[in-house]
Amino acid sequence: MKKSKIISLTEAMQEVKDGDCIFMGGVVEDRRPVAAVYELIRQGKKNLILLGTSSLVEDMLVGAGCVSAYRGTYTAIGAFGISPNTKRFVEAGKIVVDDIGHVDVCMGFVAAMAGSPFIASKTTFGTDVLNPAYDNVAKIRGLARNPKTLPAKKYVLMDDPFYGTGTVQLHPALKVDVFINHVQYAGEEGTVRMDGSLVFDHFACHAARKVIITAEQVVPEEYLRRDPNRNQIPCTSVDMVVELPWGAHPGQLLNFYDMDVPFIMDYVGKSRTEEGFKQWADAWVFGAKNQEEYLNKLGASRLEKMRALPPYGYRPRTRGGAK
Amino acid sequence: MMSEKFAKPGEFTAAEAMIIYGSRMLAAFNGKMGIIGIGAPLLATHLAKLLHSPDMKIIIETGQADANPEEVPLSIMDSRLTYGSSWQMGDPEGLFPLMRGEIDFGFIGGAQIDKYGNLNSTFIGSDYNKPHKRLAGTAGAVDIGSFSKATIITMAHQKRRILEKVDYLTTPGWMVKKWPEGKMVRREEVGLPGGPIAFISSMGIMRFDDKTKIMYVDRFFPGVDPKAIKENTGFDIDISRAKEADPIEREELRVLREVADPLNIYKTR
Repeated sequence: MKKSKIISLTEAMQEVKDGDCIFMGGVVEDRRPVAAVYELIRQGKKNLILLGTSSLVEDMLVGAGCVSAYRGTYTAIGAFGISPNTKRFVEAGKIVVDDIGHVDVCMGFVAAMAGSPFIASKTTFGTDVLNPAYDNVAKIRGLARNPKTLPAKKYVLMDDPFYGTGTVQLHPALKVDVFINHVQYAGEEGTVRMDGSLVFDHFACHAARKVIITAEQVVPEEYLRRDPNRNQIPCTSVDMVVELPWGAHPGQLLNFYDMDVPFIMDYVGKSRTEEGFKQWADAWVFGAKNQEEYLNKLGASRLEKMRALPPYGYRPRTRGGAK
Repeated sequence: MMSEKFAKPGEFTAAEAMIIYGSRMLAAFNGKMGIIGIGAPLLATHLAKLLHSPDMKIIIETGQADANPEEVPLSIMDSRLTYGSSWQMGDPEGLFPLMRGEIDFGFIGGAQIDKYGNLNSTFIGSDYNKPHKRLAGTAGAVDIGSFSKATIITMAHQKRRILEKVDYLTTPGWMVKKWPEGKMVRREEVGLPGGPIAFISSMGIMRFDDKTKIMYVDRFFPGVDPKAIKENTGFDIDISRAKEADPIEREELRVLREVADPLNIYKTR
């Protein structure tokens, strides 16, 4: 019998070490590993380096004092505004920031997936992303537990030697210590099936030293192998699987549930101040030992109202969907 | 009859006017392919598909090809964007058509805009490491504004947002920074195609002079005094070419209010 990769959330999050460069699946408030992040906060992680974005889940880590630096493309939570804890910490100079472009993140993951040290493009030309005065890569490298996860330089400009199209930018591969990804389905050996946007995750899973999957449902591996074309992360790239129902609440999970708008509004409102965030975290992170207690606290009727309906995969607004 | 076809100033909000004139701008792109940012651009696009350009193909940066949401989405990866798309992949697949030169138009917002149409959505202040205000970052805007064959920009008209110079250049307009020195040059000089063709605010439509590439007021919305546009702009904007925009039709308002955003998700009214 093949070895099962299923472990507990507590054990899985213990694999994240202080000072690791972490990347989390989904984007903004959708298909985010929220329950996993609650556990990282409970375990009191320190000096994590956020790659990619600082949106809903990353912002919670910032508020809880788990983060020393951020390198990415986005520090907001969509319609809910600028990520409130990230805003507060950045404005106070408490975390180091290095902005890169959105395609730069894609390019970096493509390079890492291909096992290439860098890749060339013409993105972010003309912008302050290339301003040497705003280059904090060296500073962030100095904060990392594994400095070699981060590049020695932000970028290099050179002339296109092949097609003569002028200047190109060389982007370093975007490498990750730990990738945590919440998905709809995983098998016990780690095969993953995601619905909805794959975001960067089908590339990031090959760019990380450790890949931790939290799954809404763990299903028989054999079931996912009946149709391998529908799977986007192979078992060969996954280290651990945790079953975590409603693991993306209060965000959306296509085909499972819609967004809990009042919950996110409450989070965003409270997180504008240190005391407010503490109050929120005491209620929802420390006020529940685990996901089961968290769901009990939310209550069955609240969750029931968010259930997605076929064929849409979300809850239509005429049936009480997110607005 | 005239009075029945057209809405009078006071019968619509500034935000509704911004969305309606934004959607009209897309009438020129029927049958074309665009990448659209979430927020006001998405609502204007939704309205344009209903009124002017049903055959527009919309790409979303989280990897939906020919997205056809039935309900206006709240988020760039909203489940509402997936259902009805031709293809659902991820951000690389969503954004790479830009660099392949396939995208006819981009439609984006921002926090600050300068007279050359450069956008800032990164930070406000003078110290990057301790900014006065941290904003959202590059998101998709930098790539959309760099590589679309034409870019349309939309945001509310406020003096503190429309400036001589942006604090941080996130998305390239017409005059951009050439590195490593940071010298201001025309965007063509750093190899960028396209450029902003219009800035639609909550007061009017601004365009960019063919020669100088400096923003001027092309149209003011019905009920708006062009002098008020000047007063609410952070640099000395040219209003000498400004004409009143064609009036808003009641039918446009009806479709916006009853079909595109019946629940006022985007709070335009």
